[in-house]
Amino acid sequence: MRSRLGAAFLLAVTLLLAGGCLGQAQDTSIPPLPAAGAGVDAGLGPEAQPLSYGPGYKGSPSFSPQGSRIAYVVDGYVVDRLVGAGDTRRWTTRDFVAEDAEWTFEDGLAIFGAASGPVPADEASRSVYLARSGEESLGVRELATDVLAMSPGPEGEGLIVALQTGSYQSEVALLRDSGAVDRIYTSPLGGRVTGLSLSPDSRKAALAVRTAGDLTSFELHAFDLRTGTHRQVVRLEDGLEIFGAPQWTRKGICYVVGKEEASSGTEPLYDVFTVTPGSDVPKPTPGVGEDFVASSIRVSPGGERLAIIGRLNPNAPINLYVLDLATQTLEDLTVNEDMEIKTGPDDLAWSPEGESIAIVARGALSEEPRVRAAPKGSLLEDFYNLYEVPVEGRAR
Amino acid sequence: MRETALWISGAVLAFLATAGAFLLLANLGTGPSERNLRPDPRPGESGHNLQLVLNQDRLTSLRALPGQEFEVGVRNAGDEDLSHVNLTVEVSSENTAFSNALYYRENVNELPAGSSVPVRFYLDLSVAGSMASRSASAFPEPPRKIIEVRATTPEGASAIKTAIVPV
Repeated sequence: MRSRLGAAFLLAVTLLLAGGCLGQAQDTSIPPLPAAGAGVDAGLGPEAQPLSYGPGYKGSPSFSPQGSRIAYVVDGYVVDRLVGAGDTRRWTTRDFVAEDAEWTFEDGLAIFGAASGPVPADEASRSVYLARSGEESLGVRELATDVLAMSPGPEGEGLIVALQTGSYQSEVALLRDSGAVDRIYTSPLGGRVTGLSLSPDSRKAALAVRTAGDLTSFELHAFDLRTGTHRQVVRLEDGLEIFGAPQWTRKGICYVVGKEEASSGTEPLYDVFTVTPGSDVPKPTPGVGEDFVASSIRVSPGGERLAIIGRLNPNAPINLYVLDLATQTLEDLTVNEDMEIKTGPDDLAWSPEGESIAIVARGALSEEPRVRAAPKGSLLEDFYNLYEVPVEGRAR
Repeated sequence: MRETALWISGAVLAFLATAGAFLLLANLGTGPSERNLRPDPRPGESGHNLQLVLNQDRLTSLRALPGQEFEVGVRNAGDEDLSHVNLTVEVSSENTAFSNALYYRENVNELPAGSSVPVRFYLDLSVAGSMASRSASAFPEPPRKIIEVRATTPEGASAIKTAIVPV
């Protein structure tokens, strides 16, 4: 009797376990599909999420002051859209040739470029235009001509612009949100300003200045917006150039410096240098690494971190990194899987609270035709598109 | 003593039998529906039985000229015949500042189940010239052509393919 009962017990337990195991195996048999617009891994790592779709040569992303919208340039005209959803809203006509767009306030964009006429040469100055949302005519108002560079103004209000006043002479001016000139600084700079950015306390501006001469010659200047005075911080060796706008951080002025390689077809090698406060001697930025090849940099809101697009070494893929300037630690935020990340000086932007960074990337170009089973407006990696990469909690 | 042991053994066996029955029912209930799950169709794959085929070699031979022959294979992979398959081809530039997209339309009257038919279009892929120089700085690369093909039927079947062609 006991042996029968024991056999029945063992049989029941075996059936119980077998039933449970069968159930587990079936639960894992169907892989889930990613939802549209969320969880899409486009080759930059799982945390990078697309902010735009479809064809178009996109660049110069800029978050709105509240961070809810992002504006960018596509094929020369300017659009914006809600972050994470929504249709694009066009700000200029399609024949506009914008190079940069910056929010001046929640419903206004400052646009650097040319609205009409022939396309300016690379060395020529541009104009700055003001566009407002809700104006159905897509009209823009020209705020200033002969503009060499622009940046959002102190406390995020208005604009600071560098104006060309001679073939190799520049002046700095402050514009209000309305576009009215707030102040023109009459102390000229002996050269053409190629990039500028404000200090974290909004009292000064760092300027890259190209001076006259047969060879490429660049200077780094610090401009005091209260007194209107400026001084040369560094004069680079002939042949070296400052790429993009120098970035004024809590630890000094950082800039990308490099020299075009003599042989054509090779990529120029650029380094990140820092001039610390109280010193006029530039040094390689601590924490980046001596083999690092930088392309573009952008200081975070508050000035404590530096977003860098570049390569860990000349043979490494381009990725987005964030350098914590206090701890000198470099964190990679993307995992590039055969993507082309745009390396233009305006092709990255911090969100207002510094919790994410927008970059522009596409899949590797092919000379062969590609066929996709989707409408063109939903294609992602076939064209340059914007991606938002979260920062918060990864690199403080 | 024996009676107590028998009662305990009986209670354990009854519990195990009941639990096993519930497990068996649970597996029977969920098993078939899990196997029958189909992933949501991706955009452009909503037609369950209508397929578009673009020949890679023919796409490679396309040039930035008018009158380029473009063949679309339309296939009815379903069990039911289809009629009045409307085909629309949109040719546009990768440079979205060019707003002059071209549209071509054809119709396949009958498409029996399991059959396929080639449909030919003659596309104008010549480069738009009016804004080409103006947009050179805004679009520094030669823009590719985008050929978007849509097929729809009155029965609700649809398919879409987009070709990105360097020309």
